Amino acid sequence: MLFYLVRTPKGELVLSPFPELDKPYFEGGSFKEDGKNIEPYTVLTPGVPLAYLETVAVPSESILRALAREDVLKSFPWHWGDLEYLKDYLPGVVVGPESREPNVEIVKSLRGRKLTEDELRMLATSYGLKPEEVWQQAHLLVRAGLGEWVPAVRRERKGWRCQRCGESELEEWPSIYGAAFTCPSCRSLGTSSTLKVIYRDLRTPARENFGLRSLNKTSDLVLTPAQEKAAGQVLEFVQSTLESEALLWAACGAGKTEVCFPAAAWALGQGKSVLFAAPRQDVIHDVAPRLQQAFPDLSIPVLSGASAAKFSAGDLVLATTHQVLRFYQAFDLIFLDELDAFPYRDSRMLQWGVTQALRPGGKILFLSATPDPATLKRIRKEGKIIRLPARHHRRPLPVPVFKKMPDWSRVKDSGSLLSKMQPGFGSMLAALREHGPVIFFVPKISSVNVWTEILKSIFPGWSIAGSYSRDPERLDKLVALRRGDFDLFVATSILERGVTIEGAQVAVMAADHPVFDERSLVQMAGRAGRTRANPSGGVIFFAARETAAIRTAVRWINEQNELARTAGLLD
Amino acid sequence: MSKASIIINRTQELLRSLWYKGEEVCLLCGGQDGPICPTCIKEYFHPELARCQACGKLIARESTYCRDCLEHRGPQALTRVTAWGHYAGGWRDFIHRIKYQAQPRLVQKIAHLLAEWAVTQLPPPDSIVAVPMHPSRLAERGFNQAEMISSVLRWELGIPLLNGLERVLPTRSQAELSRQERLHNLTGAFKVRDQKNFSGHIIWLVDDVTTTGATLEACAQALRAVEVGEIYGLCLAAGIEKNLVSAGD
Repeated sequence: MLFYLVRTPKGELVLSPFPELDKPYFEGGSFKEDGKNIEPYTVLTPGVPLAYLETVAVPSESILRALAREDVLKSFPWHWGDLEYLKDYLPGVVVGPESREPNVEIVKSLRGRKLTEDELRMLATSYGLKPEEVWQQAHLLVRAGLGEWVPAVRRERKGWRCQRCGESELEEWPSIYGAAFTCPSCRSLGTSSTLKVIYRDLRTPARENFGLRSLNKTSDLVLTPAQEKAAGQVLEFVQSTLESEALLWAACGAGKTEVCFPAAAWALGQGKSVLFAAPRQDVIHDVAPRLQQAFPDLSIPVLSGASAAKFSAGDLVLATTHQVLRFYQAFDLIFLDELDAFPYRDSRMLQWGVTQALRPGGKILFLSATPDPATLKRIRKEGKIIRLPARHHRRPLPVPVFKKMPDWSRVKDSGSLLSKMQPGFGSMLAALREHGPVIFFVPKISSVNVWTEILKSIFPGWSIAGSYSRDPERLDKLVALRRGDFDLFVATSILERGVTIEGAQVAVMAADHPVFDERSLVQMAGRAGRTRANPSGGVIFFAARETAAIRTAVRWINEQNELARTAGLLD
Repeated sequence: MSKASIIINRTQELLRSLWYKGEEVCLLCGGQDGPICPTCIKEYFHPELARCQACGKLIARESTYCRDCLEHRGPQALTRVTAWGHYAGGWRDFIHRIKYQAQPRLVQKIAHLLAEWAVTQLPPPDSIVAVPMHPSRLAERGFNQAEMISSVLRWELGIPLLNGLERVLPTRSQAELSRQERLHNLTGAFKVRDQKNFSGHIIWLVDDVTTTGATLEACAQALRAVEVGEIYGLCLAAGIEKNLVSAGD
């Protein structure tokens, strides 16, 4: 989208992608009523992307002198012309001079949004409109002071920065405007470059009172005493004016999502906007029906790479952290699940996005079973930690048992490995199997098939399969696993989080492998004993040595159990 | 990221590049053996197929022209046209990344391979001419991909660029139109400024993609009007003859 510098009849300089659309906003009635000749409404052509014009467009008459100092822009054929004469060469009014009325649907779906011009184009397509119609609707909001245009990549004091994801290490290339920059980090969401512009909505959330109605309907939400206690603390945090961040540190499978519902209902009742976010799609799609059940009055947009509706808006939104990049200061309260999970954990981009989506003065509650040390340290200092140490069935978390095994990486072939491990190894797995299907975690994709074959040779009568992230049959196999079709299932970290398998028992092979840190060990152990029907489970860590990660994982699990016991949350 | 950590990262990268041989990934599939791996060469560049002499389309080895051109539905004003790869799959995605995702720098990564291929296909020219873009589209995109391609060929082969062919009508994108519409869409769209620079020249007329050859033809007609000697069309990608589609895809 190109921007033009416009001199209004009153002598003001404004930047506009649609000078003709803007005309009525700047003519000022008094000029016409007096019957005097109004000053011409003049436009500086050609149009230039906002990133290149906003830094030189100082509100003064010396704009041409300022442009003459720019390396590349100085050679452009700059010309001030009367809008009347230039009209045919500039973007026209698509919304129509009589219909400068807002399109209610579009205006609604732009609320709290941060969208590039290409995303606005996609929004237009979804409504069966021309891109210009949606751009002009957005521009009407900008003119009304309810939104703003910013370059997708903007010049800052030191270098350039992507305004969608905050990245400052950009790809530079030569454009007709001089150096141009494309953001490599948020490319999966569409192009962000100095040639593009972003619409940022500045409206406050709708103050409707539907939340209170929803709150009444959540009464069928049954919380365990442990959950109720934590939910009370979460509500206290949300209502207080003290901390802006808190961490809900819950045991694996303790039902931390539901703990947030009463606080969410209260916030909605106050007219606040609420976001539930998580890094991974499957978590979002798992939470969606539970959230909808708790808030039956609300239509809750579920935004993920897999969902068709990417631009729906609402006061309660469920989204992956990638989709959160498309919001700007939109939420008073954010619940961020699994902050220690890939890809959020190591992504400055996603962390920046969540911060951008929070309204000034808003609050974030992080949810995790295994918070990373940096977050723990920060929140211990500045925030509040809420513990949810017990599962709903009031039984302790299964504590992993460490079993020494030969150093796998030094064993040449599976035959000699087997001979060293037998017979204790087989009998331990068989003992696990008596209580339920065994999930057998391995550290690498390449180990999946190797161990599947070894285990098939040890247990010829068992139904055994394996899977990993890129396995084309992954989804089918997981369905079969949930159905209880397998005695043993070999998997990489794909089953580490967010999965509940009835009666699951856990074995981790090479638990001393560097890929398994204390957090992934706790998560894997957390797959066991999750359900009321099978509240206990066995967890075995096979490793050549007991690493610090193994010790920390066992300590964390013991600590949770101890906390729960002291609080009287265990039977 | 702090300044110190950027310096540390850069130093580490430099040290790694001194210690280890850089392993380039394939630009099309992300696998090993870049910039374009043998599998992608086979899949999209079809060294075993010929190119239609008139429109550049990929055709059977024993043929000279595609079916459209045999029926005189292809370009007439060019001496010959050739296209490097088949406009499909990973190769099409790569060209889209250049054009629509603001990554023109990617052209540099294929420069050497492209130049090597081009010199085996066409006789040496006096100069290279890029298919021009209308100023209104250039203003939106910020660069002309045909100029980017021409520019890397110039650096690789030392052949000068010749400016002066201009797009004077803001036509609709060819990609949105049917074959018939494409031919009409471009009538009068191109014009040559400073015709004496062009007179008698042998030129390579460079574009990113050709499908019906209509854009190349419209440019060639404008160039013929100023008595250009020979015009060879050169594109990154073209379509494939229909009966070869199963072999191609």
